[in-house]
Amino acid sequence: MSAAERYVSSLRDGRQVWLDGRRVRDVTEQVLLRKSVDWVVSGYERYDAAPNPAFVVPASPVELRSQLEQLLSGDRSLTSTAACVTALATHDDSAFAERARALVDEAKADDLRMTPASVDTAKPVRVVARRPDGIVVSGGKYHVLGAAVVHRLLVVPNGPVDEPEQAVAFTVPVNAPGVRIVVSTTAPRAVDDRHYPVSRRQSISEALVMLDDVFIPDEHVVLDGDTAGSGELASTLEEVELAVAVAAQADRSELVLGLAQSIAEMNGTGGVAHIQEKLAAIAVYAKMCRAGWEAALAGARAGKGGAVRPDEAYLFAAKSYGTRSYSEMTYYLHDIAGGAVITAPTIADLDNPDIGEFCRKYMRTMENVSGEDRIRIFHAIRDLTADTFGGWDKVTNQAIGGNMQRQRMGALHHSDLGAAKDRARREAGISSNSS
Amino acid sequence: MAMMTGDQYRKSLVDGRRSYIDGELVEDASAHPLLRGAVDMVAGTYDRFYSEDPDAFHPMYLIPRSREDLEFRMEAMGRSDMTAGTTSSCMALVEVAPELARLKPEYRERVYEFIDYCRANDIRCSEAITDAKGDRVKRPSRQFDPDVYVHVVDRQRDGIVISGAKLHISAAPLCHEQVVLPTKAMKPGEEEYAVACSVPSNAEGLHIVNTTNAPRTEDQRHFPLSSRRNCPEGLLIFDNVFVPSERVFLDGETSHAALLAHALGLWERSSGIAHVGDAADRLVGLANLLAEANGGSERKDIRDLLAEMAIFATMCRAGWEAAVKNAKTNADGTVSPASLYVSATKYYNHELHQRMVDILHDLAGPLLVTCPTVGDYENDEVGADLGEHLAGASGWTALDRMKLLHYLRDTTADTYGGWTQVAGPLSGGGQFAQRLVALRNYDLAGATRKARQTVGLDPSPAGDEQHGAFA
Repeated sequence: MSAAERYVSSLRDGRQVWLDGRRVRDVTEQVLLRKSVDWVVSGYERYDAAPNPAFVVPASPVELRSQLEQLLSGDRSLTSTAACVTALATHDDSAFAERARALVDEAKADDLRMTPASVDTAKPVRVVARRPDGIVVSGGKYHVLGAAVVHRLLVVPNGPVDEPEQAVAFTVPVNAPGVRIVVSTTAPRAVDDRHYPVSRRQSISEALVMLDDVFIPDEHVVLDGDTAGSGELASTLEEVELAVAVAAQADRSELVLGLAQSIAEMNGTGGVAHIQEKLAAIAVYAKMCRAGWEAALAGARAGKGGAVRPDEAYLFAAKSYGTRSYSEMTYYLHDIAGGAVITAPTIADLDNPDIGEFCRKYMRTMENVSGEDRIRIFHAIRDLTADTFGGWDKVTNQAIGGNMQRQRMGALHHSDLGAAKDRARREAGISSNSS
Repeated sequence: MAMMTGDQYRKSLVDGRRSYIDGELVEDASAHPLLRGAVDMVAGTYDRFYSEDPDAFHPMYLIPRSREDLEFRMEAMGRSDMTAGTTSSCMALVEVAPELARLKPEYRERVYEFIDYCRANDIRCSEAITDAKGDRVKRPSRQFDPDVYVHVVDRQRDGIVISGAKLHISAAPLCHEQVVLPTKAMKPGEEEYAVACSVPSNAEGLHIVNTTNAPRTEDQRHFPLSSRRNCPEGLLIFDNVFVPSERVFLDGETSHAALLAHALGLWERSSGIAHVGDAADRLVGLANLLAEANGGSERKDIRDLLAEMAIFATMCRAGWEAAVKNAKTNADGTVSPASLYVSATKYYNHELHQRMVDILHDLAGPLLVTCPTVGDYENDEVGADLGEHLAGASGWTALDRMKLLHYLRDTTADTYGGWTQVAGPLSGGGQFAQRLVALRNYDLAGATRKARQTVGLDPSPAGDEQHGAFA
């Protein structure tokens, strides 16, 4: 049995999952969740005989760059697993560090997929009972990416907490008694989903996870009662998530540019002055997003646990810039492309003998442009920026690193303000130390 | 003839038209899961405005003769469905009727006869304007395929035959008549492309290939708006379609092609911006509700964002009010909104709209796109607990909070939201066109005269000296 086959089989473990108000007994058989499963399968197939980047804690900028490149070209469970691995492997709580490393070793040995669960619902996760061999927890977590299709959750406080009972972190199998997973998904609902070229392959389900009196054995607990250090794991997870988001933003901005340039050429408007202006604006955006990520990598240095992390000032600055301007770029993209973004015929229309050739004929613009190719570019633009998947992608990315104000503040707080002030004083001819 | 009821409207669509969606022929739109919702919405308008009075008609067919008429008409449009907006194609014809009469008196007569026919039979029309266009930088007559602009391929004793395609035709499968207008100015030598006419939706040779923003889920309760107000978009394919002379409003007169295109643009844009103040107010209200539900309505940073949105909403409303205040009247006495203010308002609204949406997404957070469904909430095994997990601040219940998030996701971050994001700026001409129209209608000479006087190149009128130069 291949690793991918073992993975699919492992999901039939009695996990309690609901989608659209209905219980899902087997996520591998549910048509929408199967798309998430298949995406994760692609990662298992890819790393069946090769080192899996999800289990690497980068020790140099070169390793960090390589890891991010591999993660971004794979399925989302690899990224979520990498975040959990980094958080556990660098966990410096002396009482739990060894246990956390053991959990990483176990996940790696069993080739498990993990995902973080940090954002509390209105019922924060807390210890509700203690037993000789573990703790019992209850509460809920929002936005748990891929919960229904991974093996373990890393549950952590969302930040520093005051109550010792909420200062609790642990890993838990998703099929543990008392774990219930309510899923949402961007997987396309069309019976024939060929006009969703991205989301039919790359949709990962999200979940609200409810924990009801879930027993966590001691060996899975990595924080218990230490309010002073309660925000540390979430902070590490957020750093990794932010780094991935900024790296992905650079890729995404280049994709937007590629789509815009492609459709402009296909429309015959690549040389029109106002279209060129918009393409240029997107090109500037793409270069600045790439530059932000490169600068963050160039400033990377070893942090806690020896893990190399990108420069945070550049990370926040790049994220803030990329988020603030993203809607403007998609607005330009849609303006360049035109209304066929939302009105292009489907692939099924092309298959229909009565109308297929008409659709090809009228979506064609010139001798060397095929109507079908142009239709496929329109589908990609719609799927990525103006439909269910595009909406989810935009909203979830916008929230990484906090809201837009917090992203700006992150850049401010991580900037070297002392050096900036010194420079200003020198220019102004101030030699005294008065502030 | 009398007005139609909703049921009569539904039956009227089963007329043998060749309408497709997802590659399948749809014989009865009212029975198709992806089109039924849109049909029901239009049927709802029919029922809402229905009158047994044989002389009654929907206000969309009121030809405004005063500002009051214009405002009355637009208010009624706000209580109607999208076909009331697309039937604006009739208003475009009416607006240019005096000019058409100078070409041929029968054009004007045909326009008014057509309007009378539509009004008397209570039917809906599309705005079939955007051609396939081929290579955008080449003239229609220089394309590799002559059909990429709709054109006359044959003239017969009693009518013309047309071929070509029209794209992005909102509500096309919901309409009875497809009103074909030139997409832009035509030049001498392009007479075959200077054609305006109306074609019944079931005409032989006409195919309608549709897309839709209707939700595709079985349970649509977490799509609170698009489950009720979705809109199909049609690609109209004219394959040698015969059009009788009485439905031909322009045939070969290139001098008047642009006039029709511009007139439609004005009415299409006007339908969009007449209610843009209300729509912007709704965004401000949604932001305030999100702040309440998430517990931040008194935070200074959030008050600042609300202020930004309030200014946006106020300017949107001001733009439409200025368009009505400065309305124009044509030779037949038809009153139209002022084109300058219509285009300026449309441009302003769409330049900033997505910024307002970004603020809403910031306030909502990712729960916007990960919120459980109503179906989840009603599930016996998880529903009660979801009620506790999803409860909001300030007494917001889980169900109310979910309704708020579902509405916002549906309208800004899902299929329908994507459609509005793309279609909004492009309808009635893209943003670049709005800039051109605004500048064309703006009193540039007057502004320049003021500037010359201000800098002292020309004398100022008596009593109007430099004061207020920057006011």
